[in-house]
Amino acid sequence: MKLDRRDFLKSAAAGLGAAGLAATTASVASAAGASSAQTVTRGPVGLPQDWRALRKFDVHNHVFLSGRRGNSDWTDVDNLIEAAGVLGIERLFCSRPITAGVLANIEAVREVNDTVIAAMRRHPRQIFGYCFVQPGTGAAALAEIDRCLDAGMIGIKLYNQFKYTDPAVYPIAEKCIQRGIPFLGHSAFLTDPKTLALQPKTSHALDFCALSQRYPELILIMGHVNGGGDWEWAIKGLRECSNVYIDTSGSVLEDDTIEACVRHLGHQRVLFATDATMEGCVGKMLAAEITAEQREDIFWRNFQRILDRRRA
Amino acid sequence: MIIDVNACLGHYPFRALRHNTAETMLAHLDRNGIDRAVVSSLHAVFYRDAHRGNEELQAATRAHRNRFVPVATINPRYVGWERDLAEAVERWKMKAVMLVPEHHGYALNDDHGRAALKRIADYGVPVALMQRFEDRRQRHAWDKAEDLTSTALLEAAKAFPTLKFLLLNWLGLDGARMVEAGLKGRCLVDFARMQVVYRKDVPRLIETLGVEALAFGSHLPFDYVAPSLIKLANIELLRPAEREAIAWKNAARFLGLE
Repeated sequence: MKLDRRDFLKSAAAGLGAAGLAATTASVASAAGASSAQTVTRGPVGLPQDWRALRKFDVHNHVFLSGRRGNSDWTDVDNLIEAAGVLGIERLFCSRPITAGVLANIEAVREVNDTVIAAMRRHPRQIFGYCFVQPGTGAAALAEIDRCLDAGMIGIKLYNQFKYTDPAVYPIAEKCIQRGIPFLGHSAFLTDPKTLALQPKTSHALDFCALSQRYPELILIMGHVNGGGDWEWAIKGLRECSNVYIDTSGSVLEDDTIEACVRHLGHQRVLFATDATMEGCVGKMLAAEITAEQREDIFWRNFQRILDRRRA
Repeated sequence: MIIDVNACLGHYPFRALRHNTAETMLAHLDRNGIDRAVVSSLHAVFYRDAHRGNEELQAATRAHRNRFVPVATINPRYVGWERDLAEAVERWKMKAVMLVPEHHGYALNDDHGRAALKRIADYGVPVALMQRFEDRRQRHAWDKAEDLTSTALLEAAKAFPTLKFLLLNWLGLDGARMVEAGLKGRCLVDFARMQVVYRKDVPRLIETLGVEALAFGSHLPFDYVAPSLIKLANIELLRPAEREAIAWKNAARFLGLE
């Protein structure tokens, strides 16, 4: 189902009618100026009637681009943009972490960040970057953050090379505070021994709490509540750490997740995200039994407030 | 019209569920515009005598047969399972039979699994195989079940060439290998864990197995329903000619529903 833009618009027009298509494409096209006065209008049954047009920022996604030059394979990135258009996701905040616990050198780190920068340039109104850093590279990691921010990125992304309680992470946190940027961290409370053995340094809620208590002014986001692991444990583990945000992404679509986040943490600490489970994570938000105002805050306004805290 | 082929009634030992009784699920289906749900018993997965769960399911759904399509769950390691199966299929007219080898302690390709698959094939009803109930990364210490594998599925498909397969909550299916195993035309796969846009699992399966192999499923009451409603809306948007087949026609035909 490879669609170019013309095919998509043709299909969309057939499926939505002119008004619906306008609402869908407008939400993608108006990155800087979308209205904040949106409300959820629930139809008699099923999805809200205007669900595609609701403004949405996906604060945790990725670009998987092979190569960083003109001959790159853009298929995945273009599929991402196409899906965002269909789902009415206006902005995608993306990184490309080096995974599997690999302690990559700074050259490899720069290369993956270059692919994100390339995707930002290809889709400047939709893709915004997080700088992946590997704390073990020391001062080079701090310089890489500056390089990424100079290229237009908005925050940093850490994976599971180091527990976030490791002192190697502290200079990264201090850099984020200095620049006023968010720190998005991979997370899971893994209860499956086999999975835990594969990623023993994955941080969980209490690790995020510990880092937040050391750096209360850090804008810290615990990534993908539904990314694998006991999400009920994860949410309850954040209750005492009021400076830590949680994002709603992940491939697990379990009922009551969003309500539990709001119930235990308050909706202003919850950020909409998909981490590549795009239909599923939009669906979780639409299904959740929360108010229209709470939904709108989670969909985009809470993260806009975070972006507004950045310093030059 | 929407038929949800992936739903369960009952309690799950490791997590609190909402909308998991016949009455609360009916109200939930109504709120989400779903006309019928194909339901199995979670109790039958965890009771020593699985058939007691079938009895509960039969009792709970008897008054709502226009909304619920009950599926039996059989444990071929339990004494008298053949009589249980006969009661479910012949007397109660259940439309499919679920096997949960990981929970009941056997494999599809051992003596117990083969005996059950043969008997189900002889009845001419589909076997229902749930790849997993929950993500194993969040498992309770007492939850030892692994996901069913594609290898086990394909081996069973080759060993029982007339058996129909209702595949629930699967991800990672290779359509070409399923065709090679003879599953084209005798399987129905729900899209609860798949994607229509971005990863495009659903379009890829349609290319190999045909649209007749796909069905709406939500994995109620474990999961939210809206993700599947969005996938159906995206099919309606991008592949409108296939919407009705996936929403309900394929399920109705495959399960012989009126």
